[in-house]
Amino acid sequence: MNDQEQELFRDSLRHATVAHTAEALDAELDDLGWRDALRADRRAAVSTLFELQGRANATSSALDTVLATALGVDPASTAGVVLPPLGCCRPPGRVTAERLDVRGMGTAALGRHATAVVAAEVGQEQVTVVVDTAALELRPARGLDPTIGIVHVVGEGLGATTRSTTAPTAWTSAMARGQLALAHELVGASRTMLQLARDHALERIQFGRPIAAFQAVRHQLAESLVAIEEADAALGAAWDVGSPLDAAVAKAIGGRSARAVARHCQQVLAGIGFTTEHPFHRYVRRVLVLDGLLGDARSLTRELGEGLLRTRRLPSIPPL
Amino acid sequence: MELDAFRSSVDRWLDEHAAALSPDHPGMGTLDQQMAQLAKVKRLAYDAGWMRWGWPERVGGLGGSTLLRAYLGEALTARDLVESGIYSLTEVLAPTMIDYAPPELAAAMVPRLLRGDETWCQGFSEPGTGSNLAALSCRATLTDDEWRITGQKVWTSLAQYADRCVLLTRTGAPESAHRGITAIFVDMASPGITVRPLETMHGGAEFSEVFFDDVAVPVDRTLGEVGRGWSVAMDILPFERSTALWHRGAFLNRRLEQLLAAAAAGALAPAEVGEVFQQLYALRARSRATQHRLAAGQRLGPETSVDKILLATAEQGLFDLVGAGLAQDVLVGDDVSSERWRAELLYSRAATIYGGSAEIQRNIVARRMLDLGADR
Repeated sequence: MNDQEQELFRDSLRHATVAHTAEALDAELDDLGWRDALRADRRAAVSTLFELQGRANATSSALDTVLATALGVDPASTAGVVLPPLGCCRPPGRVTAERLDVRGMGTAALGRHATAVVAAEVGQEQVTVVVDTAALELRPARGLDPTIGIVHVVGEGLGATTRSTTAPTAWTSAMARGQLALAHELVGASRTMLQLARDHALERIQFGRPIAAFQAVRHQLAESLVAIEEADAALGAAWDVGSPLDAAVAKAIGGRSARAVARHCQQVLAGIGFTTEHPFHRYVRRVLVLDGLLGDARSLTRELGEGLLRTRRLPSIPPL
Repeated sequence: MELDAFRSSVDRWLDEHAAALSPDHPGMGTLDQQMAQLAKVKRLAYDAGWMRWGWPERVGGLGGSTLLRAYLGEALTARDLVESGIYSLTEVLAPTMIDYAPPELAAAMVPRLLRGDETWCQGFSEPGTGSNLAALSCRATLTDDEWRITGQKVWTSLAQYADRCVLLTRTGAPESAHRGITAIFVDMASPGITVRPLETMHGGAEFSEVFFDDVAVPVDRTLGEVGRGWSVAMDILPFERSTALWHRGAFLNRRLEQLLAAAAAGALAPAEVGEVFQQLYALRARSRATQHRLAAGQRLGPETSVDKILLATAEQGLFDLVGAGLAQDVLVGDDVSSERWRAELLYSRAATIYGGSAEIQRNIVARRMLDLGADR
């Protein structure tokens, strides 16, 4: 996409994510040709949509599409993808004696698709299995963020409709692409939290002036912007380099940065931000859950450190 | 020359000339030794042409993208051939001369700095003027064809070695704030200048107090317009927060790898190692994007404060980890390696103080990037 096309694409997606969510947003994405864009320019399609989706607190089946594509499933087929359980990036399925057991999570979109893709381990091998969604038990997770629509997914002793052996790197690559997408969504949600806190700081008068005039408040807002820029820069480098390690680093930084932004902005928004009359709480809920998906910052950071201590060497870092 | 070609040529040259380029002293060396090493490396790199790439031809450069000189500094730092802080002063001061000095002056002076023949310093801070730079009071008065300068500077890095100084002076009324400042290029050998080095807590005397007692400077040494020195300062600061930080990041990555190699099993907590790596990664990613914006001809501004904040956080994070992982060396080690870890750990405490303190950087982000209005 050239700059002008990208601008138009971004504008259309902005309108779509602000006005729609869930199934309605999926329909809009189809109309706007987002799946074609994903095929033609994955970076532009993913970074633009997920940041805007995060900004608008919207949901869609885009994560399923990103993962399905990475697992070699035709993106036009609109299958859902079973996510790994929290804090873990191992495939959610196990195949033993030709029967498939599944333990994982799913997006709100999973139940809307007739079929679901399950990455599964068969001994040392990995396979991609397509199952009827109806055969899976989907239980809504009424957790911290009720509107994200995450479901628990369980399946026992399933027969597979189709099954194909995938390259051992396919699941790793799918996780990496998903992590980049989620990190963009975290950045988008963080930008809205900062915007809400900034607006409040400029409007709220105490001691005869806007609280934005007080250095303690200004520094919390500045700290938030630095955290967002940090996550955004890490994403830029991770896309340029394209390795799974870089994607995991970007996801970890995105998760930690969003938590920092939530903490600072909550403090600036104070009482009003603690009520459900203000939209802020939706974003706090969203970023905590997004951080948990496909590897939370804490686990990814510890695993990264363990890897560095094993090799006692730095991995290659983004070149100039 | 393209970056990839430059990179491989420079790497090859550094490999081939490793013996000639390497320091003569063990460990980090004294500041005198570091300065001698810096001059030697700059001279060799200049004569081989590498030090001239990325600088305009009108000041003795060979042209090409600014990315070339960013890479050269990275490579020299990553191989431990130069101390990144003193190397990067060139990156801060040469662009100022190129942008603001009369063309003949820039053409005559910049090559001396690039070749390592001269050291320059930057006279900004004063005893009464730290974070509040616009309140500076070092007075310059115009008489016929020369400036007469009287006043004091402090925290002037490398002043005791410097041949020249980019000096900010008060030429307007005392209350003219940022509107009455003029930048002047001063020969440090001029009569009336006294330099008193300040011993720092990490060892050595990196910076000095500089006293000016009716120092005469020809008027053609004015940088930019009279009364417009604030814009010179505002243009210098983003350079302090761009290429210099790219080089510093390369140094920190090397030290993290050396820490990993040196720390005993179990001495480092995996989560802390992971976080420091990520902080350095974020700094590198941010600084890399800044380098590409600079190379594309974009004007750098207040957003470089983000780069500086990330640098300070990462540098202190790394050396906190050093303090934990190499406690024996840092606290009671008496070999050259321990001395170096100790000095660098102590120096890292200054990362939130120099070049605009952590508070000033956040003020800039709040005022200029978040547009929060005045803070009083």
